[in-house]
Amino acid sequence: MDADIAVRATNVSKIYDLRNKDNQHRTDSSRFYALKDVSFEVKKGDVVGILGTNGSGKSTLSLLLSGISDIDSGTIEINGEQSLVAINTGLNNQLTGLENIKVKGALLGLKKKRIEEITQDVINFAEIGDFLYQPVKKYSSGMKSRLGFAISLALNPDIFIVDEALSVGDRGFAKKCMDRMMQLRDDEGKTIFFISHSLDQVKNFCTTGMWIEGGSLVEMGPVNEVAGHYSEYVEKMNAMKGPEKRKFLDEKFRKRLLPKEEKKSWWKRLVS
Amino acid sequence: MFTAIRYVIRENFSNLYRIYSISKYELLADMRDSKFGIVWNFLSPAIQVLTYWLIFGIAWNRKPVEVNGITVSYLPWLVVGYACWWFVQPCITNGCNAIFSKVNVITKMKFPVSVLPATVICKEFFNHGCMLVIALITLLACGYYPQWWWISILYYIFAAFCFVEAVALILSVLTMLWRDIRKLVVSLTRMLMYFSPIIWDCQFGAHVPFARYINLIMKLNPVYYLVNGYRESIFYHKFFWNHPAQTLCFWVIVLVLFAIGCMLMYKFKKKFIDLI
Repeated sequence: MDADIAVRATNVSKIYDLRNKDNQHRTDSSRFYALKDVSFEVKKGDVVGILGTNGSGKSTLSLLLSGISDIDSGTIEINGEQSLVAINTGLNNQLTGLENIKVKGALLGLKKKRIEEITQDVINFAEIGDFLYQPVKKYSSGMKSRLGFAISLALNPDIFIVDEALSVGDRGFAKKCMDRMMQLRDDEGKTIFFISHSLDQVKNFCTTGMWIEGGSLVEMGPVNEVAGHYSEYVEKMNAMKGPEKRKFLDEKFRKRLLPKEEKKSWWKRLVS
Repeated sequence: MFTAIRYVIRENFSNLYRIYSISKYELLADMRDSKFGIVWNFLSPAIQVLTYWLIFGIAWNRKPVEVNGITVSYLPWLVVGYACWWFVQPCITNGCNAIFSKVNVITKMKFPVSVLPATVICKEFFNHGCMLVIALITLLACGYYPQWWWISILYYIFAAFCFVEAVALILSVLTMLWRDIRKLVVSLTRMLMYFSPIIWDCQFGAHVPFARYINLIMKLNPVYYLVNGYRESIFYHKFFWNHPAQTLCFWVIVLVLFAIGCMLMYKFKKKFIDLI
């Protein structure tokens, strides 16, 4: 792979199983493309804003990019270390803020020395003051998010994947996070995948736009162009009347269903 | 198969600090929940042993256990065996939940899943330490003083560690595939306790048909080997090389279980998120 390419995805598909009405495991035709035949290429230092309506596969893509989930077909090549910014994950409610820095740091795989190094930065960035010595269960949700976000930033991967992470905390903190992200973008030249429903944020922050709809990649290009097309689409959807919209959504859903496949029991999955 | 084993071992050894931190802070979090914290880690096994002793030792008037001419009264005999079980049992039942209880973590960040069983075991290992202290106090109170051959218990602690790690690897993956496994295992461990020489010596009398064969099968049970080993190192001045056949059998079982666990872990390491 060329050295200046950060991520290259070729014909990536991800398939989920659906349950039927009785919440039974799998029935005959219930397999579903979360992502279908997505191909793209992202250069190093690119900041990609991922747009799409709810359930269009953005988060699935972020899971695939961060290497948490496995793809069903196609390939993803990734140049460098990637990490998903997860805010509230790994915080333990019983422990104090300070202990949580250590817990989450360890969960993220930081070494002991590195955790000691970052502790002060995290405290400064999160601005939680004397609450540092209170158990996290007493924190307000904004405070918790600030702590979590501050710890996540201590990682130093080449590729950041931010899934709806900046819509937390008050505006002051949101701005601080944005500034920090911009610093990562401009000074350190990180590749960033940025998922957000705030079009303004995406337009301000990203250089490239990627629009995913119904599990397929619709458009990828300069962010303003893509964002423009996307908001047109959203307005068109909003303008639709009830039955028309339902028909449209049904159609979209049906396109993502998979043709019938032989039923596989968990036992077969185990031995296969 | 060997790639799987190498993968699991490497992942575990390169994340030692992660394992240590996770288990340490989980223990801490448990203690914060209650007012007396660490006291319970000592008190609950002590109460448990006391119960068995009162019922089986006092109420049913169990005679001192005699093996090869060495007689040991029931309380010290029980406490040593129970120390082992107090480690094995929670490791098996909590091992089932090792991955499932961390679902919110493994779905949100890149995480070496195969270290999770080890974190549960390290956490229980601390409790095992507490239990060993209780056992030591009881032994001293009953007039057994430390001897040099007691160190052979270290071998059995290590053996127990390997055994529960292998079991937890398998069960944690199976629980993700099939949630019922945990309930099944919780019931089966209760049964296992009575088929291991923990509160009785697990020898069927001659009036039971095929008693000889049943007793032989009993000895294949890895827990039998461990509990017996704990006792032999304390009371009977015997080492593991005194039972070559049983030792071999135990390690074969452990290695096979470990290999199966590694293969399962390797196969499903990226699939867990779809199995929630």
